[in-house]
Amino acid sequence: MNPNDSDASRFTSATTDRRGERDLDLLLVHVARGDTEAFEAVYDRLVGPAYGVIRRVLRDPSQSEEVAQEVLLEVWRTAARFDPAVGGAATWVMTIAHRRAIDRVRSTTAAADREHKTAEVHTPHDEVAEAVEASLDAERVRRCLDGLTDVQRESITLAYYGGHSYRQVSDLLKVTLGAIKTRIRDGLIRMRDCLGVS
Amino acid sequence: MRLLRHDLHSLSGAYALDALEPGAERDRFTRHLSRCQSCASEVRGFREVTTAMAFAAADEPPAELRDRVLAAAARTRQLPPEIRTHARPRRTRTRVPWVPWLSGVVATASIVVAVLFGFAQAHTQDELNQVRAENQAISLLLSAPEAKLLTHTVTNGGVATVVLAADRHELAVVTTGLPALPPGKVYQLWLIGKPAITSAGLLPPAKDGRTPPVLATGVVKGDTLGLTVEPAGGSAQPTTKPILALPLPV
Repeated sequence: MNPNDSDASRFTSATTDRRGERDLDLLLVHVARGDTEAFEAVYDRLVGPAYGVIRRVLRDPSQSEEVAQEVLLEVWRTAARFDPAVGGAATWVMTIAHRRAIDRVRSTTAAADREHKTAEVHTPHDEVAEAVEASLDAERVRRCLDGLTDVQRESITLAYYGGHSYRQVSDLLKVTLGAIKTRIRDGLIRMRDCLGVS
Repeated sequence: MRLLRHDLHSLSGAYALDALEPGAERDRFTRHLSRCQSCASEVRGFREVTTAMAFAAADEPPAELRDRVLAAAARTRQLPPEIRTHARPRRTRTRVPWVPWLSGVVATASIVVAVLFGFAQAHTQDELNQVRAENQAISLLLSAPEAKLLTHTVTNGGVATVVLAADRHELAVVTTGLPALPPGKVYQLWLIGKPAITSAGLLPPAKDGRTPPVLATGVVKGDTLGLTVEPAGGSAQPTTKPILALPLPV
């Protein structure tokens, strides 16, 4: 082992990686070892989508900021629990972000706050459109969502972006629970194939 | 309400969207997930879809958030690397080429013996399952293409054998012939690196002079594997001089 090469080169090999996925995985391994520089890099790459999805679910900017902070701290604290064999770093962080946002929504105060706004949620397709900027990710996701049936698309966006449980989605769309369950799963299978996820 | 298995399975989509309310239904699905490989891999695929949806909704947070998060992180203690005792779901199942690439036949034998010994020691089904899980995790480690085998003597007697899979950031350790410790003392493994020293777990009690394999994750470039004698239960940081300091070729 040459101690001199550890600092200078450790991120160089990482950044030459193909799609940046393994690069992020490696950064998280360094984060787990208390490397603040690696944590800053993870922050810069993932705070946008994490904050974005939290904001979609909670809508309120200051609450979203609070939850985003909790999420990033959880990433720092529990990085040692990240297991690349189970999924990529981005997926791990986005799962934490969405789950935390949902927890917040389901906590009483936030729920009361949201009751008034439920009506707005009736146009999930527009919500997506509104979030879509020129990014390729967004374009791809929008195209794949467009390929779904209306019920599939609405139930997935109401659940994921709207933060509703599938029971609430069933009420909102006036479709039976069993059907919603199936539409969500079928829709996600189609999305998966459309996005080319393995 | 009892759910049929295929009904449970169809909850995978709602689960991946965090759209199951807390309660019996979600608990039942979570339990099912730990036993159902195909459900777990379906949920993994769906989570990649939702990750793409999160990126599609990316939004810029206020700039002050960065400083606040970094300052909070500086005050927040991290969890140590996980010592895995359960097999995890894998993307692929790998057959284990035990012998071909391993050069140190004696050392290999000591790991195989340690693993088999674990089987012999298991008395209950739970213990047996646990040993199987450990064995599987070690098999996966051994089958990693870049796995390296290292052996090193321990200063006050005995030998440590390490299988290091740098690409997986994992290693497994077995020892033979370490001196028995007085009551109230344990052997503790460490990953010594910059900027921190982290515990890599306690050595289980030796049987016939061998300690069963310990798996540690989170190994990074520049780490040295250390072994110290610590009070029972282990320490947060080493309190005695290492009796093993093995630089890891990561």
